[in-house]
Amino acid sequence: MSKRILVVEDQEDNRQILRDLLGSAGYEMTEAGDGEAGVAAAKAQRPDLILMDIQLPLMDGYEATRRIKADPDLKRIPVIVVTSYALSGDETKARAAGCDAYVTKPYSPRQLLAKIKEYLP
Amino acid sequence: MAQTFADQAVIAIENVRLVEEVQGKSRQVEEARKHKLQFLANMSHELRTPLNAILGYTELILDNIYGEAPDKMRAVLERIQTNGKHLLGLINDVLDLSKIEAGQLVLSLNDYSIKDMMQGVYVAVEPLANSKKLGFKLETPPDLLRAHGDERRLSQVLLNLVGNAIKFTDTGEVAIKAAAANGSYTIAVRDTGPGIAEADQAKIFDEFQQADSTQTKAKGGTGLGLSIAKRIVEMHGGRLWVESQPGKGSTFSFTVPLRVEQQAGQS
Repeated sequence: MSKRILVVEDQEDNRQILRDLLGSAGYEMTEAGDGEAGVAAAKAQRPDLILMDIQLPLMDGYEATRRIKADPDLKRIPVIVVTSYALSGDETKARAAGCDAYVTKPYSPRQLLAKIKEYLP
Repeated sequence: MAQTFADQAVIAIENVRLVEEVQGKSRQVEEARKHKLQFLANMSHELRTPLNAILGYTELILDNIYGEAPDKMRAVLERIQTNGKHLLGLINDVLDLSKIEAGQLVLSLNDYSIKDMMQGVYVAVEPLANSKKLGFKLETPPDLLRAHGDERRLSQVLLNLVGNAIKFTDTGEVAIKAAAANGSYTIAVRDTGPGIAEADQAKIFDEFQQADSTQTKAKGGTGLGLSIAKRIVEMHGGRLWVESQPGKGSTFSFTVPLRVEQQAGQS
């Protein structure tokens, strides 16, 4: 059975890239367009990995990551934060929220895939 | 007598008013400076988002995710990729510089191995040196200790110095050498490039300056790298300098304390 990845990202262009990338690598991808929907989808779907954007409507990616990591049923799901937010302390904030890895945009799809494979061998 | 006293009082009042005016003005200048830097930081951030789509799709097509790309198309896509990456370099440099100037760049201080840091940089630029058929040497003394500082930022400094050395050297070699002494360590990057005249040596650390501005277009680069590198080294409480003579190559060196426990005050 193919592994499922939940992508929490509000921009359609970026979701499309990930759809093409993850699809071609044999992953199944589900999507959420804001932080609240992201947390709800994580609970409902129990994905194998979560790619989390930071600047999101309703609830940002830091808070969504915190909630997922605070949930005993979900905390073991690896969360990779993917963000173009590159101001100082962003990585520290993402780590404090409990994310497992941190990737800045623009990312190389090839490198992002390699990072995902570290968690989903 | 009364008149003199009155005149002096008027002058005193006027002085107070002028001092307040100057203070108010400098507050305004400081505010404007902060706004400018925040604007640059936001702008850089906004520019990265669409660039993610441009560079991302380009790589996906080059990786044949949408089917076999013909050679002619690949050549064009590689140009898009090269230019996109150059644009990204500019955006990152502007973001870094605005963060440094706004006092927002915070070093992330951790233990690291100097040797690993140097080897990481060496491996990253080796293909560049090979493609120019330059000799490329790395000398790390066996006793090189572990250090404490911002490894990622110091790699960025070394990457900039080595990248410049390779970029401006057409024949001969580039050598990276490290030595530790008196609680600090020094990394020197020596090249056999054209060298830099004494008059230009101070200038190259300023923003958007290369010694020979006609070379900027030919050699690429943003003209921000050295200025950023110097600031990062200074934030570690160290210094960065150049020794060079036209026709005799250049050596760029930086010294930083082995243990940086606290970020040095910003200018």
